[in-house]
Amino acid sequence: MRSFQAWAALLAMMASGWAAASDPLPPEQFGMEPLPARTPHWIYVVDSAFMNETDSRVRLYDADTHGHLGQIDAGFFPGVTLSPDRNTMAVGTTYFARGGHGDRIDVVEFTDMTTLALTGEIVLPAKRAQATPTYFNLGYSSDSHFLYAAYITPAASFGVLDPAARKVLGEIDTAGCVLVIPWGPDHVSSICDSGRLLTVTLDAQGNEVSRALSDTFFDVETDPLFVQGIPTNQGYTFLSFLGKVHEVDFSGTEPVFHLPWSLLSAAETGHWRPGGQQLGAIQRRLGRLYVTMHRGGEGTHKKGGTEIWVFDLGTHRRIARWPVAALKLGPVSALQVSQDESPLLFLASDNPAAVATVDALTGQLRHTDTNLGQTPWQILNP
Amino acid sequence: MQRLDRIVESSARSLAQRTSRRSFIGVLGRILTGSLLIPLLPIDRIQRAEAATGPEGSPAKGKSAGKPYTEDQQNCEYWKYCAIDGFLCSCCGGSSHSCPPGTQQSVVSWIGTCHNPADGRDYIVSYNDCCGKASCGNCDCYRNERERPLYRLSRNNDVNWCMANTGSDYHCTVSVILGSSGP
Repeated sequence: MRSFQAWAALLAMMASGWAAASDPLPPEQFGMEPLPARTPHWIYVVDSAFMNETDSRVRLYDADTHGHLGQIDAGFFPGVTLSPDRNTMAVGTTYFARGGHGDRIDVVEFTDMTTLALTGEIVLPAKRAQATPTYFNLGYSSDSHFLYAAYITPAASFGVLDPAARKVLGEIDTAGCVLVIPWGPDHVSSICDSGRLLTVTLDAQGNEVSRALSDTFFDVETDPLFVQGIPTNQGYTFLSFLGKVHEVDFSGTEPVFHLPWSLLSAAETGHWRPGGQQLGAIQRRLGRLYVTMHRGGEGTHKKGGTEIWVFDLGTHRRIARWPVAALKLGPVSALQVSQDESPLLFLASDNPAAVATVDALTGQLRHTDTNLGQTPWQILNP
Repeated sequence: MQRLDRIVESSARSLAQRTSRRSFIGVLGRILTGSLLIPLLPIDRIQRAEAATGPEGSPAKGKSAGKPYTEDQQNCEYWKYCAIDGFLCSCCGGSSHSCPPGTQQSVVSWIGTCHNPADGRDYIVSYNDCCGKASCGNCDCYRNERERPLYRLSRNNDVNWCMANTGSDYHCTVSVILGSSGP
């Protein structure tokens, strides 16, 4: 034993001598990493932080390097959108003066998406719709001239904002119809309980000049429409509780409703359903629709998908079914697909929390990340 | 002995994979009641109703004490919670119909219609949030039966129903009976 201790002491002396002989590490410069140039394989993950909802955030992730690039604070029940040039992120949110209590402050905060620096804000009246994330809680006009914020008090209306001048221009009552679907430079549509769209047209100052109700295009009683629309080349596609696909063309002078088609065969209808928070995504170059599907009945419309079903939008035919269990991922509550020539599919689960990156052509898993928030309920393309 | 354990385990797993929980409860219920020969006692009625109406695909995240859905108010599958999505106030210092101390009762709410297996009646219930404190975080429960999207606001639970309170942070949710649909 005594001999062992002697040898150990000798080795320790030799090791310290070798360390002393090498050069010390140089002093470091304390600084801040620049944000790299964005690629189509980045995603912005909206973590609604359901267990502590005043602390939502948006996390930036590079699926090629598996790198965590940064974070944008998002407060309480945020609505998140990007400017048409993708260089600014607007986050409509609420803060309380004393953390969980105190004065309510509704605000839209703007972040420069090349630096992640906050660049300004617009304080809103305390009316902002504090709802789970969709594309339609907050949205820019196509020319970036206006920003629209959905209000629910519970009376429904929307705020017209000037993002350049950083000010509120006015408020437009929507007669019970909810959310803001901006299209063109001066139109905003809202979804009504009657199964119609209300479209308000604005003048250059943001005042209402006209409004129009569409025909009824879905049946609220028998097959309600999810409000989580999916961007298409001409507008948005909406899915119904029972799996009908409603494509709405917003490229003309008024919304045009295509004939609905079904994700399901007659035998599957009522047994399999779309479900989750962000339940569909479209790869616009390929014309492919990806949907989170599960087996379930009434009341399961927020249940995450146990399979991803892939459809060809030209033929309306299902071309793949990818079981989520094979990816070692919980039920999928949100999904998104990149819009480049080598598309990636992003699948987010909140139970347990993880985001999987999958080849959008084959369904093969590339990587799973478990550090992108507790309830990742929306994923945005950069 | 280990071989016997493996055989039993394998058989149990195989049975579990081939049968759903609901079908198991249904088969067990039929065996116990002996078809129609034995008069149905009140407890049988409760169990039958639950087997028939138990929420499909709705996780029971609430704390369960092994009590049926008509008694355990900290269980997500308690009958009054049929359209809830949030934290159960009964796990946060309140009860199924009252807020925890020091919170504010929401002044607006959404409604649902839930079936009570104990008396066979349908009840209209008001889902009120308790407000003014940060998220409770206990007994996260979502059922969503007959819940509808945001455009049908009175049936929607994807919005903060503390919105009209002076303290509008969301803490937890209660379910308050407004009335029954029958005599």
